[in-house]
Amino acid sequence: MKMTLYVAKNSIVHKSDPITKLTYCLVAAIVPYIIPNHLFAFVIMLLSISLLLLGKVFRKMIPIYILSLFLLITIVIIQGIFHPDNVTPLFMLGPITFYQEGLLIASLLIIRIINMLSAFGVVILTTQPDDLIEALVKKGMSPRIGYVIGSVLQIIPQMSSMVGTIMDAQRSRGLETEGKLSTRIKAFIPLIGPVIMNSLIATRERSIALEIRGFNSKRKKTFLRDEKEFLFGKPYQLLLILCFIGAIIWRIFQ
Amino acid sequence: MNEIKTENVSFSYDQKTIVLKDINLTLANKPTAIIGQNGAGKSTLVKLFKGLLKPTEGDIWINGKNTKEFTAAQLASHIGLVFQNPGDQIFKHKVIDEVMFGPLNIGQSREKAYQNSIEALKKVHMEKYKDENPYDLNLSQQKLVTIASILAMDPPIIIFDEPTIGQDDFGKELLKNLIRDLAAEGKLVLTIIHDMDFVAETFERTIVMNQGEVILDGPTREVFAKEDIIKLAKLDLPHVMQMAKVFGIEETVLTVDELITRLQRI
Ligand SMILES: Nc1ncnc2c1ncn2[C@@H]1O[C@H](COP(=O)(O)OP(=O)(O)OP(=O)(O)O)[C@@H](O)[C@H]1O
Ligand SMILES: [Mg+2]
Repeated sequence: MKMTLYVAKNSIVHKSDPITKLTYCLVAAIVPYIIPNHLFAFVIMLLSISLLLLGKVFRKMIPIYILSLFLLITIVIIQGIFHPDNVTPLFMLGPITFYQEGLLIASLLIIRIINMLSAFGVVILTTQPDDLIEALVKKGMSPRIGYVIGSVLQIIPQMSSMVGTIMDAQRSRGLETEGKLSTRIKAFIPLIGPVIMNSLIATRERSIALEIRGFNSKRKKTFLRDEKEFLFGKPYQLLLILCFIGAIIWRIFQ
Repeated sequence: MNEIKTENVSFSYDQKTIVLKDINLTLANKPTAIIGQNGAGKSTLVKLFKGLLKPTEGDIWINGKNTKEFTAAQLASHIGLVFQNPGDQIFKHKVIDEVMFGPLNIGQSREKAYQNSIEALKKVHMEKYKDENPYDLNLSQQKLVTIASILAMDPPIIIFDEPTIGQDDFGKELLKNLIRDLAAEGKLVLTIIHDMDFVAETFERTIVMNQGEVILDGPTREVFAKEDIIKLAKLDLPHVMQMAKVFGIEETVLTVDELITRLQRI
């Protein structure tokens, strides 16, 4: 059973420093907002998508793009028809007129959203959660926060596998879980009861397990795993931060 | 006469890795153990029997019913499965309500369900806990409650997944007798199990699985005689047999009593 969103592939993106990827993700997601230029945002979006392709994980992003389609179409409709700056009609769709100004704004928003999704995809899909958390904790982040991030990344797949087993156990006792809405509602308590109980028990057990292994100890922690060698370390992080500062300065003097 | 029949059954969860390969089995009224290493495919096989999963290829018949044509809930009155972990099913606040849940689901009247549930609790010596909260019981008691909750549905075929885990000698003895009694009532009992001593003492037939295939199937005594294949499946022999070897006894002994009788002859 797979417990994370991480996709194991052998690529240069996978071998890159998690912190560099995280920095890239944040910078790439924010900079198109600082510099509100179509071409610029488009180039950043292409860059993020190329990183996905380079990491051989672009396919895994397709369902996410499709999911966001609903939001994107809404943006086009709302901005294209109703934006207050709309003056230049561009085309008609039946009785409805779409305007150039609104569509331009919509396209910038869409580019930003796709770019942001792709940039996050680069980090989540190509980085083992453990590597990312360990790297952050080494940078001085509290291990508690690291633990919370790790749990959150795991909880969704874990929950879904637990719900699967519980559903099997109750269906085995003749509980119908498919079909009419009333059947499904009746099935809810026998399913959710054990889910909550198991989660509570798991949380308690885990906190005890952490405690007896000295999780709260005030001593400086060491790390179990050897330092992994990653590509594109510190200098690249610095470069990304400089780009970020550059963008802010550009914006101020515009 | 109860019967599970599989014909050329293969199964895979993800269309890529094959978990079960070409399984052909006919299981009839003898208590049968299914043994094999972790990941051999035992739980997957019984979930297929139960109709919780459907074969990728081939067919399974439960007393003549093809599992592909029924939902798991519809099959529930024909075949019962006790899951390994009691936490996956318990949700009521009283033992008796938990046990009555299945019988009511399959359409027994309240009185009948109550009666059957009390009977079932008696069979596992848990009737005195009927008004307790199941969450207050320990793991082995919870396991007995989940066993009772299947017995109360009175299915002609009953499958246990790892029933002996967490049970002490008393619990194991109880289970051994329960399995024999169920068999005597004419029920087909299947058990997935890692405890080889329990297998040797309790089951007439044993099926050995390895990497999704049945590699050995027959009377328990004959199965344990094929030591090389047992080793191949990375399983151990029952302790009595290991002990017998130390004494230089080559034939297969399955129980302590057998070993003692055999030793007295030396
Ligand atoms: N829900 C699932 N999705 C994908 N693969 C699974 C799933 N459940 C089991 N598997 C895989 O199928 C194979 C057989 O698993 P199964 O649980 O049937 O083994 P088992 O013989 O019951 O093992 P154990 O003794 O550990 O209970 C394993 O390789 C397992 O990783
Ligand atoms: Mg199993």
